[in-house]
Amino acid sequence: MKPLPAFLVLALLAATAARAADFSATIKSSKGEVVADAVLSLIPLDAAPPLTPAPAAPTPEISQQNQEFTAYVTVVQAGAKVMFPNQDTVQHHLYSLSKPKKFELPLYNPGAAESLTFDVSGVVTLGCNIHDWMLAYLIIVPTPYFAKSDSLGAAQVAAPAGRYRLELWHPRLAAPQTEEITLADGPAGHRDFILPLKPDRRIRRGPESKTRSY
Amino acid sequence: MNLFRPTNLTALIFAAVVLGHGQTAPAKAGAAAWWEQLGVNASAAATRVDNISRTSSALSRKDATTYEFTAGLSQHRQLASSWLLELGADALYLTVPKYVRTNQLTAGPRLGLQHKFGLGPLAPMLQFNAAYNYKAARFAGDRGWTAEGGVRLAKRLLPTLKVAASSQWLEHYAAISTFDVQQHTLSGEVSWDIAAHWRLSGTVGRLRGTIVANAAGPTWASALGGGIGPTIANYYNSIPWTVTELYGPRWVSYNVAARADLWSLALACALTEHSTLELRASRAFVVNHAGISYPTDSWGLGLLHRF
Repeated sequence: MKPLPAFLVLALLAATAARAADFSATIKSSKGEVVADAVLSLIPLDAAPPLTPAPAAPTPEISQQNQEFTAYVTVVQAGAKVMFPNQDTVQHHLYSLSKPKKFELPLYNPGAAESLTFDVSGVVTLGCNIHDWMLAYLIIVPTPYFAKSDSLGAAQVAAPAGRYRLELWHPRLAAPQTEEITLADGPAGHRDFILPLKPDRRIRRGPESKTRSY
Repeated sequence: MNLFRPTNLTALIFAAVVLGHGQTAPAKAGAAAWWEQLGVNASAAATRVDNISRTSSALSRKDATTYEFTAGLSQHRQLASSWLLELGADALYLTVPKYVRTNQLTAGPRLGLQHKFGLGPLAPMLQFNAAYNYKAARFAGDRGWTAEGGVRLAKRLLPTLKVAASSQWLEHYAAISTFDVQQHTLSGEVSWDIAAHWRLSGTVGRLRGTIVANAAGPTWASALGGGIGPTIANYYNSIPWTVTELYGPRWVSYNVAARADLWSLALACALTEHSTLELRASRAFVVNHAGISYPTDSWGLGLLHRF
C-alpha cells in the first residue's frame, strides 16, 4: 500500500484539530477542598476510540525514589507500555494484585528499569512488598482522551466533538462517577465536580517505635 | 549447643552477613554503592522513672530521670522473593545524672531475617532477629557481652492496624555473676494509626528469668539476717550479690529469679516524614522467686529521626 502524501496527512490532522473540542473540569471534595490526582476520561459513544496509544508518545514512567513512588496516580491508554525505573539507593519489590495486571518485580535493584505493557482497562494498584507504605495507582483507560487533575483540582481534555461517557476516578472515591456528555465545536465546555471522598487510610511511613528491654 | 553463647552467636551473625552479601542478585548498571544503601537513624529520649533502683522497700526506692541516645545503621537485602535480610549495628548511651554509676554504653551488630507470607501490606510476616552487644557500663562489674535472639509474627489486620506476637531471649555475660542475666519475654503488640500523623501502640508482655535488683545496705543486712522472714533470708543467702553503691553508699545489687508483667503505651506523632515524637508510659510489675515485688513506672518523651 502506498503511503499517503504528506499534504494529505497534514490536511487530515488539520481537519481533526479543527473539530477538536476542549473540555475542562474543576474537581473538589464535598468539604470544598481541591482534589488532585483525580482521573477524568472521555470514552467515545458514537465511534470507537483509537485502539492503541500513539507510538510517538513518550513512555510513561513510575519510578521509585527515596522509598516512594514518584507519581501517586498515573493514567495511560490501554496498550501502553510503562517503565518502572528504580532510581533509589535500595532494592524494591514491585507488585500488583489487581485484576487488569497481576505482576511481581522482586529483587529489583537500584538502577534496574523494567517495562510492562498494560492491555486491560482498569485500576492497577502498585505496591512494594518491602516498603509497605509505598503505594501508587496506574489507571488504564480505553481512550486517548484523559487527564489527571493538578494541585488546583483542574483537569483539561481535548477530544473531537461528539458524545462521550465521562468517567471520573479517584483513589478515595468508593466507585467511579460516570455520566454522558456531549462536546460541541466552539467554546470549551467546563464542569465542576464535587466528589464524596473517603478518609485517606494509606499506610503511614514512619520510624517504628523502639521497645526497650527491661 | 547454646546458640546464644557469644562465640556461637558471633559465628552465626558473621555467616549470615557473608551469605547475605553473596546471595543477593547482582546489581545492574547504575546501582548504588553499599554505603549509599545504608539507613541511618538516631533517637534521643528523656524518661522519668519511678523506682529506677528496683527496690522492694517502698521507703528507700529511688526515682530519677534518664537520658538515652541511640544511633543505628541498617541495610536490607532481599535474598529471595519472600525473604529479606537486615544487617545493622546500634549504639546506645544511657545516662542517669542522679546516679552516674549506672551510666552505660552498649553497641554491637544485629541481624534480622524476615519472611513474608505473600504479597501486600496485609500479608503476615515472620521475623527472626539476633543481636550481640558489648555493654560498657560505668560500674565495671556489669561490663560484658549481651546476646539476644527472637522471633516475631506480625500481621496487619487493616491498613491502620497491626498486631504482633514475639518471643525474645536475652543473656548477659557480665564481669561478675551478680550482673549475669538470662531472660525470656513473651509479648504482644498492637499498633494503630489513629490519624495521618498519629500512632498509638501498646505492648503487654511476661518476662521470666533473672534480674538485678538493689537494696539499701541496712535493708539488705536485715533481709540476710532473717529480719523479713526465714524464707527470704534463705533465698537471699543463696544468690549472688555485691556492694555496688549504684544508688547510694552501702547499696547492694543482687541477682534474683523473677517474673515481670510488662505494659507500655506509646503515642507517636510524625513531625515530618523523617521525625517522630513519642510519649511513652511503661509499667513493670516484678515479683522475685521469694515473692518480693519491685514495681517500676516510667514516663518518657523521645524523638526519633531517620536520616
